[in-house]
Amino acid sequence: MDMILLGFQTLADPMVALMLLVGVMAGMVVGSIPGINDNIAFAVFIPFSFSMPAETALALMVGVYCAAATGGAIPAIVLKVPGTASSLLTAEDGHAMARKGLAGRALSIAITSSVVGGILSSIVLLLFAPSLARVALEFGYVENFALAILGLSSVVGLLRGNIVKGVIAALIGLLVATIGFSPMTGAARFTFGNINLIEGIPFVPLLVGLFGIAAMLDLKADVMKTRDPDAGPESLPKIGSLRLPKGLMRRLTPVWGTSAAIGNVIGMLPGAGMLMAIFLAYDQAARRFRRKFEGQPGEETWGDGAPEGVAAPEAANNAVTASSMVPLLSLGIPGNSTSALFIGALALHGMVPGPLLFTQHGNVAWMIIVSFLFANLLLWPVAWVVLRTVSRSIFAIRKEAMVGVIAMLCLMGAYSDGANLFNMWVAIAAGVVAYVMRLASIPLGPAILGLVLGPQLESSLNNSLRISNGDWLIFFDAVNHPISAGMMVASALLWIVPAAMGLRDRARAAKAAAATKDNG
Amino acid sequence: MKHLNLAAVSLTAVLMAGTAVAQSYPEGDIDLVVPFDPGGSVDVTSRIIAETANTILEGAEINVVNRAGGGGVVGQTTVARADPDGYTVLAMTSSVVTNPQMKGAGYAVSDFRPVALYNLDPEVIAVPASSPFETAEEFLAAAEDETMNVVVAGIATSHHMSGLAIERATGLEFSYIPTKGFGAQVQAIAGGHADAALWPLGEAASQMGSGDIRILAIASEERSEDYPDVPTFEEAGIDIPIWATFRGWAVPKGTPDEVVADLSDLMQQVSETPAYVEKMEAAGYTPTFRDSDGFSFVVDNYAEQTSAIIEEAGLGQ
Repeated sequence: MDMILLGFQTLADPMVALMLLVGVMAGMVVGSIPGINDNIAFAVFIPFSFSMPAETALALMVGVYCAAATGGAIPAIVLKVPGTASSLLTAEDGHAMARKGLAGRALSIAITSSVVGGILSSIVLLLFAPSLARVALEFGYVENFALAILGLSSVVGLLRGNIVKGVIAALIGLLVATIGFSPMTGAARFTFGNINLIEGIPFVPLLVGLFGIAAMLDLKADVMKTRDPDAGPESLPKIGSLRLPKGLMRRLTPVWGTSAAIGNVIGMLPGAGMLMAIFLAYDQAARRFRRKFEGQPGEETWGDGAPEGVAAPEAANNAVTASSMVPLLSLGIPGNSTSALFIGALALHGMVPGPLLFTQHGNVAWMIIVSFLFANLLLWPVAWVVLRTVSRSIFAIRKEAMVGVIAMLCLMGAYSDGANLFNMWVAIAAGVVAYVMRLASIPLGPAILGLVLGPQLESSLNNSLRISNGDWLIFFDAVNHPISAGMMVASALLWIVPAAMGLRDRARAAKAAAATKDNG
Repeated sequence: MKHLNLAAVSLTAVLMAGTAVAQSYPEGDIDLVVPFDPGGSVDVTSRIIAETANTILEGAEINVVNRAGGGGVVGQTTVARADPDGYTVLAMTSSVVTNPQMKGAGYAVSDFRPVALYNLDPEVIAVPASSPFETAEEFLAAAEDETMNVVVAGIATSHHMSGLAIERATGLEFSYIPTKGFGAQVQAIAGGHADAALWPLGEAASQMGSGDIRILAIASEERSEDYPDVPTFEEAGIDIPIWATFRGWAVPKGTPDEVVADLSDLMQQVSETPAYVEKMEAAGYTPTFRDSDGFSFVVDNYAEQTSAIIEEAGLGQ
């Protein structure tokens, strides 16, 4: 308790508190710019942070990290261009709401969900960091494989209509993930002798291309289709009122609870990351929506403006931010690639994350934890200011110009990751591929999930089998690997339940048809 | 009086000449190329060095430039092809030695001229705290009966090769569990998901206070001051006097001797600065210093050790 107070005390330093605020604002802006994400912002910022005291630098990083996940939702809703990878799913229902004149409500749901998810996970971090870290240690190779399978199974919730196309997309993602040297033999695969591909396709530029460049092409096509030489510039959807009706808050509360819980658990597990959390949360919300609301009068269909489709991923991605610090601070194990950059920032200031951090630098460790709580409390006011100022002026730019601006920002963002020109070509190629996939109505979501989970799937499978001497049953061993066995069952249910329900519905429909025929 | 004046003038002249020589290099800023993303161990140590060096240098600065990609090959190739004028310096790691053979990099080790070494990180054998093996001897004896699952950073990394070297020295055979990222490796060992890991001491040290891991042996010539109870590889019965990854500076070959000497002196001055030593140690790295010849010896020795192993294991591309 004393230590927690020490954390508050460190944060109470006006300079540190100010930097946290600056970080939240910067993160919100960075997140809301397509092509630039927190990863890139950190890579640019870390060298500067060297000259600052550790507390200030880390407070700023916490602010950026929390707010970037929220800021990404702004262009996702207004432009259907996700600002960050974590707002990929928000773009679907969020933008649909915006087109129906509910942009303000969608943004409001996104921000409120972020705050709720973020605060819940900050509290978890504050109260349980050291004890929860032990849970992360239970995850070995076998459990990680089962987790990857569970993540991939969540695509079922994403697939509307064409399951085959969804599976094809996931396979494309998994195949692309095999580019680069094989973890098992060290041999290069599909690199065509290009040294830039040795470690696989550079990930940040790839994401920038898949979201930013593809969305830019989409926007461009849109502009060309609707071009009318006589008409003035087309305006973007008005943001409108940000008020959330009470009934909607009540309705979304269970979604927030589930999504924050998913984000908390996934965030703590090393290697899983934000994308997996948003997919799992989205999947859960989709199931709930279909069960309770779909088909009722006045309700949208899923993917076309359902409020849960915005609330779930946004609550989940902010829940990941704080919980990914649990294993990082107490064990030195980063939960995802962005939190891994905190290790670098800490090391630059002579601190090594891990078991000794709390004893040697307790004030900084607790300051980081407390900062997460305050950063999330700052999110709403800062989001309000950013929406009313920065975003309003950005979205006043006409669409034609916006296309160019986004393209430039994306290419810059891709380049700044490693200062490598090759990255720009990666972004462009990925953007074109994603655009073609959209034309062929192959969903992008499963492909991304495949890309993210591919390496984890491959190495955890190989390593598990190496440890078990080739015995595949190790994944279902309820005695020695109960977590894995449980997740395998859960994954199977994710596939079986919708199929069974579909069959039941079909049988019922047939019976009903038969009955009407008899009567008639 | 006149004499005195003359003496003063000549003294000034000598002093000015002295400064003039010292100022001939560097005349401008020096790029220190880190072939990895910001935040990694090479980046962190390079920035700590640059900070101290910039307090020593006058009229010039060392700028850390991150050129990431291809597991270091992109940045390393940039420096190999840079002008040999001393204004492009590579943060050189052990991977420069093995990348041409392992990853098909377009340069050769001989394209670089080692300038100075600042950190040597000896390999350790680490086991989970819950492991039945209390000593290296127990571990090696058990490995004869049963194949041990040994976590390494990746196939063909220097850690994997240290395992192959142990196999050569002892006649044992390990089963390697390649695990990317030190965090994931800690998870595997601290969680007891594998039998042992081969780690650099610097990173292993960050986990020593947790009580989750134990180190059995260190691959250095003498026992570590911080861990006097842990035997060296040779004491533990593994005939490898030293196996260490290194970090230092290198310049493109053809760089003038004076420039190399100046850079080496600069690194020496840095290494003697108390604030630098403190910062490096706090970040988990033991600072050391070896000049160009000393560093070249380390590089050549490592190249000799690894090339034999790469060939034997058929790891080359």
